[in-house]
Amino acid sequence: MRNISLIFKQFSRSVLLIAGLVVCGLTAHAQTDAAKGEAIFKAKCTACHKIDTRMTGPALGPQLTSETDDAYLTKWIQNNQALIAAKNPKAVKIFNEYNQAGMTVFAELSDADVGNVITYIRADWKKIQEDKAKAPAAGAVAEDKGPSSLVIWGLLGVIVIAFIVILVLNKVIATLERLLLNRQGIVLEEDAEEEKVKADRTATFKKLLKNKKLVFFIVLCGTIAMGSFSWVTMWNTNVHQGYQPVQPIKYSHELHAGAMKIECQYCHTGAFKSKNASIPSLNVCMNCHKSVKTESPEIHKIYDALGYDPNTAKYDSTKAKPIQWVRIHNLPDLAYFNHSQHVKVGAIKCQTCHGPVETMKEVYQYSPLTMKWCIQCHKRTEVNGKGNAYYDSILAAHDKIKKGEKVTAAVLGGIECAKCHY
Amino acid sequence: MDSNKKYWKGLEELNRTPEFVEKNKHEFAEPIPIEEVLSGGGLMGKTPRRDFLKALGFGVGAVTLAACQKVPVHKSIPYLIKPEEVTPGVANYYSSTYDGSAILVKTREGRPIKVEGNPNDLLSKGGLSAQAQASVLDLYDNSRVQDPQQNGSPTGWAQVDAFVKNQLAAIAASGKTISIVTSTIHSPSTQAVINDFIAKYPTAKHVSYDAVSYTGIIKANQNSFGKAVLPHYNFDKADVIVSFAADFLGTWISGEEFTRQYVSNRNNKSLEAKKMSRHIQFESGMSLTGTNADVRIAIKPSEEGVALVNLYNALSGTTLPGSRKLTTANADKAILLVAAELKAAKGKALVVCGSNDVATQVLVNAINSLLGSYGTTIDLDNPSRQYAGNDAEIVDFITQAKNGTVGAALFLDANPAYDYHSADAVKDALKKVSLKISFSDHADETAALCNIIAPNHHYLESWGDDSSVTGYYTVMQPTINPVYNTRQAEQSLLVWSDNPVKDYYTYVRNNWNNNLLAKGGLSGQAGWETLLQTGFVLAAPVAAGSYTFNYDLNAVAQTILNQSAKLAEAKVELQVYQNTAMRDGKRANNPWLQELPDPVSKVTWDNFAAMSPSDIIKLGLDEFEVIKIEANGYTVTLPVLSQPGQAPGTISVAVGYGRTAAGLVGNNVGKNAYPFLSFLNGTFQTNASATITATGDIFPLSQTQTHHSFEGRNVIREASFTEYKKNPAAGSGAEGEHEKYDLWEATNEDHIHARPVYDWVMAIDLNACTGCGACVVACSAENNIPVVGKDEVGRRREMHWIRIDRYYSFNNDSNGHAVTKEKEIAKLDNFNNVTVVHQPMLCQHCDHAPCETVCPVLATVHSSEGLNQMAYNRCVGTRYCANNCPYKVRRFNWFNYWNDSRFDNYLNNEHTQLVLNPDVTTRFRGVMEKCSMCVQRIQAGKLQAKMEKRPLRDGEVKVACQQTCSANAIVFGNRNDPNSEVSKALKSERTYYVLEELNVKPGIGYQVKVRNTGTESLA
Repeated sequence: MRNISLIFKQFSRSVLLIAGLVVCGLTAHAQTDAAKGEAIFKAKCTACHKIDTRMTGPALGPQLTSETDDAYLTKWIQNNQALIAAKNPKAVKIFNEYNQAGMTVFAELSDADVGNVITYIRADWKKIQEDKAKAPAAGAVAEDKGPSSLVIWGLLGVIVIAFIVILVLNKVIATLERLLLNRQGIVLEEDAEEEKVKADRTATFKKLLKNKKLVFFIVLCGTIAMGSFSWVTMWNTNVHQGYQPVQPIKYSHELHAGAMKIECQYCHTGAFKSKNASIPSLNVCMNCHKSVKTESPEIHKIYDALGYDPNTAKYDSTKAKPIQWVRIHNLPDLAYFNHSQHVKVGAIKCQTCHGPVETMKEVYQYSPLTMKWCIQCHKRTEVNGKGNAYYDSILAAHDKIKKGEKVTAAVLGGIECAKCHY
Repeated sequence: MDSNKKYWKGLEELNRTPEFVEKNKHEFAEPIPIEEVLSGGGLMGKTPRRDFLKALGFGVGAVTLAACQKVPVHKSIPYLIKPEEVTPGVANYYSSTYDGSAILVKTREGRPIKVEGNPNDLLSKGGLSAQAQASVLDLYDNSRVQDPQQNGSPTGWAQVDAFVKNQLAAIAASGKTISIVTSTIHSPSTQAVINDFIAKYPTAKHVSYDAVSYTGIIKANQNSFGKAVLPHYNFDKADVIVSFAADFLGTWISGEEFTRQYVSNRNNKSLEAKKMSRHIQFESGMSLTGTNADVRIAIKPSEEGVALVNLYNALSGTTLPGSRKLTTANADKAILLVAAELKAAKGKALVVCGSNDVATQVLVNAINSLLGSYGTTIDLDNPSRQYAGNDAEIVDFITQAKNGTVGAALFLDANPAYDYHSADAVKDALKKVSLKISFSDHADETAALCNIIAPNHHYLESWGDDSSVTGYYTVMQPTINPVYNTRQAEQSLLVWSDNPVKDYYTYVRNNWNNNLLAKGGLSGQAGWETLLQTGFVLAAPVAAGSYTFNYDLNAVAQTILNQSAKLAEAKVELQVYQNTAMRDGKRANNPWLQELPDPVSKVTWDNFAAMSPSDIIKLGLDEFEVIKIEANGYTVTLPVLSQPGQAPGTISVAVGYGRTAAGLVGNNVGKNAYPFLSFLNGTFQTNASATITATGDIFPLSQTQTHHSFEGRNVIREASFTEYKKNPAAGSGAEGEHEKYDLWEATNEDHIHARPVYDWVMAIDLNACTGCGACVVACSAENNIPVVGKDEVGRRREMHWIRIDRYYSFNNDSNGHAVTKEKEIAKLDNFNNVTVVHQPMLCQHCDHAPCETVCPVLATVHSSEGLNQMAYNRCVGTRYCANNCPYKVRRFNWFNYWNDSRFDNYLNNEHTQLVLNPDVTTRFRGVMEKCSMCVQRIQAGKLQAKMEKRPLRDGEVKVACQQTCSANAIVFGNRNDPNSEVSKALKSERTYYVLEELNVKPGIGYQVKVRNTGTESLA
């Protein structure tokens, strides 16, 4: 019996193995096509197309699934211009639908390549749809699992209340016990001792109070502490260093400037030419976010603000409403500050004043922005006039007077009233 | 020799009236009642200590509460889709057109905040008038009509269009006239639209109507030369200019252009070439031009014609029939001398006359023809298009309307219910017109009578073009989206006439493509784009031909003399004029213009009856006493103003006031003087015979003239051209050099090199400055200077950083000696014979500034660039600085003018605040302010140079007052650069510094006023 079962096991194993190999081989064969297609798709198509959503061009998944004429598709992909020129009705229709923006001609792709791409797209679209079908159910389950914060807080509250009740009850029990004992005429030893200690303590306290030097010392300490506290408070009135308001969109500088290494002035375009560094207008965001992270709810806030519909890629200006960012760096109106003077002429890095923005998930005010802070920097910073003909005669004039002393911004009048106040 | 000449700002200063002396002792009109508190009720009260403690407690509590306020959260709202050309924080300039002059409009984040002249403008080469400077404020005027209106209630454009088209069709079918009443249209495209409209509705008729008209000149040219045009005058080609009441430096035809031309023969450059034109003015009221004349002769309006006849006689050697002598011997003599001078300058002479009478202008043409002016100083071949109104047309229109033959009346930029001499006639006539449409952007007097108001855009919201002089075409482009629900009048006309071109922009484009671009050698899209950048095209001018006068003068002389004789019978002769700020009153709702002091009288916020001081004494009137003036069946009450230089027996009243439907600012300011005009011999006449009666009431005028007095110190230096030729330093006081002391220790090396790079200074040529006041408005626009209103001006609280001081002085006495001593002035009562000097006065940025040393909080200190800086947020308002300033140029903010409901009418509302310059802070209550030499422009200029990595060029930074000056009287720059314009100007021998003797080392050098008084005394 034992042998038979062994043989059966071996047999079934080999059958399974062969079956597995066959299956693997089959899938492997299917994958070669799709993998090649994926590589081509990523290299050539992703600039304008996505499989599931519309971008510059149509969403390819549904498009290629509904269009079954592969010969036509191949022709279109290889040379769409020719099809349009030949007035192919299907071609003309889609051409017009997409604002007559012609697709790039891919004459270098062979029929097999195009076939691979089509296979890949159809397979991928099928997978996406299957995932989608599963997703809602999973989502519902996941939602149920997460206890709401209300429940947590409620539980915590119950625990705390219960604890308090226990404490109170304990106390009541202890008192009642003592009362009972008292009635019986028994004085507990601990109680007597306690009273004695109490009397001792008050005596030392009274004694200490009589020591005038000590009292004076304590009062002095108190005054100094209170005084310096109020001094610091008043001194820092309206200084908002560290101010970190919640912004309407959870924009992360850490991600954009840090991880993605996007230059500051890609968005803050004014910094090099204007007094305002300027918060980017939303069309700057759309340069990337037309196709990047289009599903994120934060990005959808941008779409909503612009009145942009990602499905049709159309703007509806009637639905547009500006985003109200919360201003972090509030220089008072009486002070004139010009970014270009500092960033372009002075070649000062943004981080000097704004801190390590590239590590900030949410931006906060890094510098105090007080006049003292401005002046300190103006006094310390040497004017970098090299290669700027504007400064030639100025530095020459100052060299005559200062005899080689370093020429700071302050020396050139950088701490005079009317440099900033007018 | 002239340094002892006595100058005075007003009669009260001259006579040292007790009120003036008392008032002038104090820095501010109303003393702070500190003494009252200390000596009076304050400390003597029953419980001063408790009251003090209460106040203290309340104060501490209030401050604490106020400090508890949470810091407001500031929102930052970026563009959704930023226009490519806009960078927040950087100004954009667009070329456009104001009233025929090419301009540049400065916009910030899409809103226009300042208008400046285009430096290449044919007319004024970058200068602009006060009116043009102020025009940007009108854009944000919230008294504008904000929606189209039908019968006084707002409606939509579609309803208006449906109603109007329906009505127009019916009227056209009935054969009744459709009258389009406009002021002069000098825009080629607008004219074309009107022509198209007339083509569609053949019964339509264009009525060209100017409230202040030049029909007299146009008709006279038709009569004399067969050319019905307004000539283009060339004052720069004239060596001798004789003007009969033509205010050509101010309000006459093209003031800014004429100022530029006129000054080119009188400025530093011309003087250094020992060349100076001569200007003789005959007039009754003291005009801006009269104040600048070398010789000014006061004559009555009735003498004007006689004088011209005499001048003609003297020049031609004939005697016109009926000629008679002038009533004053001086004037009679003067005419002969003037004739001699004109004859000597034949071909380089120019006679102009401000009269609107055809006969008078024909005679002027005859005189100019004798002088060979045609083809040289007068150009009839490239005529001006600035005014083309025909007075007879409007009169006909009103007659026809009264007869019921007019079915529709459209009013574009015309307001006859206010400025026609008989408003009642207009009202009666319009009752008979079924369809009345006003395109006015305000619900003005005429619009109130209309069924439809189709509000026009402001010019800064419009597409369009203009042609002020033949061959010169400027383009107008919008610089902002319409602020209110308005529509351009041309667009309305296109819609109503079913024009195949649907929008006016395309219409303008087509017109340029087909007709105008080629004149400048441009074509197509590229040509249009070039045009939008340059702002204009200029066709080569036609060579100006000479014209021979051909008209019978005997009849003309007869007409003139008869009219004169009739006018001379009057007890008082009334002259109606335009003043520089208000002009014809169309911009009466502009607070900047209302607060701009009149260049001569220095009155703000009112018009008045100017009378000769001797008349006032004779009639026993008090200053500002209200008199009743009756002329042409119209009576008005106005306060009298004693005006030195006014011809005795005359009154001058300015038009442009007394609006009843101008808007919040302009309503009921002054009285309307238009009803004094009359229609005679085909034109409106500006002179009338009047009777006056005293009422005994006093109506104080807010005059700035005696504010900020120099305590009788002599600040004006003057020389005659003869003296100048002998010694260029004449009158400058520069001969007697004396030792100068420095306030600071000279051993301090730092101080010696206090201004190592820049030393910002200014040179002001008193001989170029005409006193027009454009700089005052330009400064207000640039530096966010608040408007304070009549009441506050009356308390000497006007905020202007730059003022134009106007000084009178007596001419030579009967023996030909300059009047110097006060004793002699008292004896001399010839107030009609005064000369005037205008002096722009602003912070002198003294090196030894007296204000700086007295400031207890160091709010005003000196910069290393020679600027006297004012840190507003440091100022605590002690006002010591104002007290210690010898020039009286510091201004104190008595109120928070930008946020105080009492000043709502002026600039303080959500719309008008859009005009503020965001680079300059608005000042709060309780701080001092003063001229900063446009430090924001200096800083911006330096930054631009730094960014472009090049040295700052001379002339690159222009301060606002300098920029707008058509006379180029103000030069600003770096004194450390020996080649800068300002260094050169200051090296002129004529340069002197005001109150130099105080050794405050002012940074502004003035150049001596030179008067070409000639060899023989005229007056």
